[in-house]
Amino acid sequence: MLRPLSLWLALISHLPALQVVLPLAAAPVCALWRRGAGAWALATTVCWLAFGIAVLLLRQVQAIGTLSYAMGGWAAPWGIEYRIDALNAFMLLLVTGIGAVVITFARQAAVERRVRLPVEKHAWFYATYLLCLTGLLGITITGDAFNLFVFLEISSLSSYALISVGRDRRALTAAYQYLIMGTIGATFILIGIGYLYVLTGTLNMEDLARRLPAVTPTRTAHAAFAFLTVGIGLKLALFPLHLWLPNAYAYGPSVVTAFFAATATKVSVYVLLRIFFTLFGAAFSFGTMQLDWVLLPLALAGIVSASLVAIFQNNVKRMLAYSSVAQIGYMLLGISLVSVTGLTAAIVHLFNHALMKGALFLALGCVSFRIGSAKLEDMAGLGRTMPWTMGAFTLGGLSLIGVPLTAGFISKWYLLLGILQRGWWPVAVLVLLTSLLALIYIWRVVEAAYFRPLPDGRAPPQEAPLFLLVPTWTLALANLYFGIDTSFSVGVARQAAELLLPGTAS
Amino acid sequence: MITLTDYLLLGAILFCLSVAGIFINRKNVIILLMSIELMLLAVNFNFIAFSAFMNDTAGQIFVFFILTVAAAESAIGLAILVVLFRNRQTINVTDLDTMRG
Repeated sequence: MLRPLSLWLALISHLPALQVVLPLAAAPVCALWRRGAGAWALATTVCWLAFGIAVLLLRQVQAIGTLSYAMGGWAAPWGIEYRIDALNAFMLLLVTGIGAVVITFARQAAVERRVRLPVEKHAWFYATYLLCLTGLLGITITGDAFNLFVFLEISSLSSYALISVGRDRRALTAAYQYLIMGTIGATFILIGIGYLYVLTGTLNMEDLARRLPAVTPTRTAHAAFAFLTVGIGLKLALFPLHLWLPNAYAYGPSVVTAFFAATATKVSVYVLLRIFFTLFGAAFSFGTMQLDWVLLPLALAGIVSASLVAIFQNNVKRMLAYSSVAQIGYMLLGISLVSVTGLTAAIVHLFNHALMKGALFLALGCVSFRIGSAKLEDMAGLGRTMPWTMGAFTLGGLSLIGVPLTAGFISKWYLLLGILQRGWWPVAVLVLLTSLLALIYIWRVVEAAYFRPLPDGRAPPQEAPLFLLVPTWTLALANLYFGIDTSFSVGVARQAAELLLPGTAS
Repeated sequence: MITLTDYLLLGAILFCLSVAGIFINRKNVIILLMSIELMLLAVNFNFIAFSAFMNDTAGQIFVFFILTVAAAESAIGLAILVVLFRNRQTINVTDLDTMRG
C-alpha cells in the first residue's frame, strides 16, 4: 500500500516538469507510429493527462500560493526555474483544456479531408501538434527569459509546419508569410532579452524583476523595452502587425485553426502581461514609457478596422480570423486601462474568447468535413440539414457578440466597468458599437444557414458525425456555463490581476 | 583596442542590413529567408560580445541555441519553398500573390 502512495507523492512534486515533459516525450513516440489512428489515441491521452496535471497545479496554487520548481534540481538563478502563480496556472488550464478538446476532434477521419498528407504520414501531424502544445505550455510555465524564447520557437516552428499542411494550396504561401513575420517577431524578442541580460547579468524572471528598477533609466533598457514591445506585438497580431494572421488561419486545416485561435495568440498576450507587469513593472511600462497610450489607440483601431473587414469576408474562416484580431484588441484595451478591473477583463476575455473561437472554428470544421468548404454561399440552408452543427455555431456567435447569459457578456461587462472607472465615455460607446459589428458578421452566417434555401442540384449534406459534434458542443456549452457561473473564471482572473498590479488591489 | 561599442555597432549594421533586405526586396523569397538568417546572426554577434565583455559564458551557450533555432527555421522555410516550387514552378513573390489556389 505504501509504495503507490509514495510514488504518487513523488509525482505530485514533479507536476510542473511533467506538464511540459509529457507532451514533449510523447511527440517522437507519436511520430514512430505507422498508422495515424494509434498516434491519435496516444496524443489524445497525453493531452487529457496534461489537462489533468493543469487542474492539479491550479488547485495546488490556489491552496498554497506560488509554486517554484527547479528544473533538474539546479537552484533558481543558475538553473531554469518553473514558476507557477495564479496567472500561469489559469493559462495552463486554458491551453491544455483547448488542446485536449481539439485533439479529440482531430480524429484521423476528420484530419484526412483537411490535411494534404498521405495517410501513412498522419502520425507526423499528431507529433507536430504535441510539439506545438509543448511549446505553448513551456512559454506559460517557465520562469526564465531565455527559456521562454526557446519554447516560443518550439511552438512557432511547429505551427508553421501545421499551417502549411492545409488542403488549400494557398496554405503554403500563408505559412511562409507567417514564418517570416513570426521569425522577425521572435528575433526582436530575443534582442530585447539579450539587452536585459547585459543590463542585469541574469535571465531568471524573478531576479530580473528585482534588478531592473535600478537600471531602467538607461537607454539600453528603453531599447530592450521597444524591441520586446514590437516582437510581442508581431506574435499576438497587434493591429498594424496582424497581416499574417488572417491568411494563416483561413488556409490552415480547421483543426489547427481552432487550436491556434484559442491558444497561440492568448499565450502571446500572457507573455505581454508577464514582461510588462512582472518584469518591468507597471510603474515603468505605463508610467515612464506610457505604453498605455500606444496600446489604447492601436487596440481601438484594431477593433474597428478588423470588425469592418470581417463583415465583407466571404470565407467564414477568414471572417472569424479578422474577428480574432478585433478580439485581441479588446484584451489590449483591458490591459491599457492599467487597473485591476481592466486586467481582470483582459484575462477573463482571454479565457472566454478561447472558448468561443474554439467552438466557432470547431463548428466550421464540422461544416467543412461535410461540404468541404467554408464559403458563405456554400453554407446556405445548412441550418436545416446540420442543425446541431449550426446550433453550436450560433451559440458561439452569440457569445462572440456578448449576449447576456453567454461568456462573451461577462468579459464585455468587466471591460465596460473598467472603462467607466476611468471615465472614458467615448471608448465605452465605441466598444458597444463594435459589438454591433460582430452582430452583423455573425448574422450574415446565421442568415445564410437558416433563411436561405439549399442550393439545387446537390445532395443535401448530412449532420456531422457524433465524434465531431461532442467536442464542438463541449466548447459551445462551456460558453453558456461560464456565462452563468462566473465564480471560477472571474475569481481566478481577479486573483491574477491583483498579482500583476501589487499595491493597487482594490 | 576594440571596445564593446564597436562590436555592438557592427551588430547594429548587420541588423539594419537585414531589415533593409526584408523591406526592399520584392522579388525573391529566398533573399527574405537569408535576410532573416542575417538578422539572427546580428543578434548572435551581440550575445557573443556581451558574454566576452562580461566574462560570462552563458551568452555563448545561448548562441548555440540560437544557431540551432536559425537552422530549424531555414529548414522549414526551405521545405515550404520546395513544395511551393513543385506546385507552381515559380517562387517569385509577385507570382505567388497573384496566382490563386
